[in-house]
Amino acid sequence: MSKTKNTFGRRLKSMLRVDSRRMFTMKFVYIMVGICLVMPILILVMTTMMDGSVSVNPQTGEETVIEGFDNVWQIIGSVSEENSSQQGDMSSAMSMTAMCNINLLYFIVSVVVCIFVSDDFRSGYAKNLFTVRSKKSDYVISKTIVCFVAGALMVIAFIIGSLIGGKIAGLPYEMSGFNVTNLIMCFISKVLLISAFVPIYLVMSVIAKSRAWLSILLSMMVGMFLFMMIPMLTPLNATAMNVLLCIVGGIVIGTGFGAISNQILKKSSLV
Amino acid sequence: MNAVEIKGLTKNFKEKQALCGLDMTVPEGAIYGFIGENGSGKSTTEKIICGLIHSSGGSVKIFGKPHTDIDVRSEMGVLIEAPGCYPNYSVWNNMMLQATNLSIKKAETEVVKMLKLVRMEGTASNKYKNCSLGMKQRIGIAMALLGNPKLLVLDEPINGLDADGMRIMREVLVDISKNGTTIIISSHILKELEKIATHYGIVKGGKMIKEMTADELESGCRTYTALKTKETSRAKSLLGCKYSRVEEDEAGYVRVYDDVTAEEIVTYLYENGILISEIGKDKISLEEYYIDIMEGR
Repeated sequence: MSKTKNTFGRRLKSMLRVDSRRMFTMKFVYIMVGICLVMPILILVMTTMMDGSVSVNPQTGEETVIEGFDNVWQIIGSVSEENSSQQGDMSSAMSMTAMCNINLLYFIVSVVVCIFVSDDFRSGYAKNLFTVRSKKSDYVISKTIVCFVAGALMVIAFIIGSLIGGKIAGLPYEMSGFNVTNLIMCFISKVLLISAFVPIYLVMSVIAKSRAWLSILLSMMVGMFLFMMIPMLTPLNATAMNVLLCIVGGIVIGTGFGAISNQILKKSSLV
Repeated sequence: MNAVEIKGLTKNFKEKQALCGLDMTVPEGAIYGFIGENGSGKSTTEKIICGLIHSSGGSVKIFGKPHTDIDVRSEMGVLIEAPGCYPNYSVWNNMMLQATNLSIKKAETEVVKMLKLVRMEGTASNKYKNCSLGMKQRIGIAMALLGNPKLLVLDEPINGLDADGMRIMREVLVDISKNGTTIIISSHILKELEKIATHYGIVKGGKMIKEMTADELESGCRTYTALKTKETSRAKSLLGCKYSRVEEDEAGYVRVYDDVTAEEIVTYLYENGILISEIGKDKISLEEYYIDIMEGR
């Protein structure tokens, strides 16, 4: 018969083929990638239209000036030295740049990861995997890699959407305090940072199993702790050091949380 | 070598003890009918064998190796509860995913072969969610058979099937076992199980209370004399005074379980003015045997 030896490489290759096939035949994934493409266009166009308008609190009469984006790159990140000065302004104005930017995407990725993993448990497919030759660690590694690729696609879609949105909104593409190399490093760091979030979402998914809503909720709560790190790790003036930090962070968090996922799967019942 | 050898298996679910030192031996090539009432521990045992849940104690060996061994696991096919299929995928795609997972070369040929075996070749393009219960069960079997497993573990595969579905399932299982595959099958439908099983294990309260072959069941099953008369209740009452165990079955036959000849019964009833229209010897079914054991007879 046509079965092959159960080496780690072969098992992982099979699992990756199954997961890739599943992930990239899911309409939902493409819808999410599409949302990531359209979202920055809408944000940039709408905030540009609202820029400078004043919002009045009817109870206190307090006026808040809505600040839009001055520059396309603001939706991708900020120059690291400017972070502190920007935060000082936030008390007097409602800055859209602080709320509606690429950082939101790291939460949206959790929806894809959680639904993708919960489908395995809801359909009972996890039983097929674990009752035959698959190891729990194969499952965790394969899911992490495939979800990272899907998340990276979403980040890339957001970056492309930002470039298109900036053009439509008529925003400048000025680079002050950084150059094209920094920008590319920033993009790479943003993509690589997904690898630090995916293992966290995966842990939440294997805890919640078929309850996707619970895993999404837990992912967003736990992801919040790492959320603060995004602007610091991936500024617009990023260098190779930032890329390296994101790689190391992804490996460390991926290994740590991957081991936790593996243990949870080993200790818990799969039905 | 035994396909499955379980010794002293225990499983505790918080306060409830589902298995209390269960022993089980399944010879290679057997169709092992695993019988027991609801909550007796059948599914728990099967889930432990398949690695879906962990035991609290005891040992499980499959083909002489621990059941957690990855090489042993690749020799297993499993259908526990419902088949694990993605509802929005077609039957074909679900089968192909499992074939990919098992690294089966010439996966397409293998999938076609398995679908043909379970009489599902014409429905490969159907979405899984649109399949009937009987079809889903057969897809589950086909999926479990991918990779030509040496051991097949089936949990209630004929539940909810109509008469035709059961017949097809029975034929499929007999075909599979002809290739030397060992099958463990739990079911409540003992009449169906009786037609295919070569070995039986009866479990009660988390313990194996009896293991036997089909031949042992055949010889161990008590014989009885069944008779039909127009005066059923009077015949039953008269025979009940003379013999130790007399019962009336669902079809209206009076059964005498004592070791007695038909002539004796005919003569005795004739002397008491009762005419018999039909009489004959028979053996109790697996279901009756099972009830006898459960009731401690």
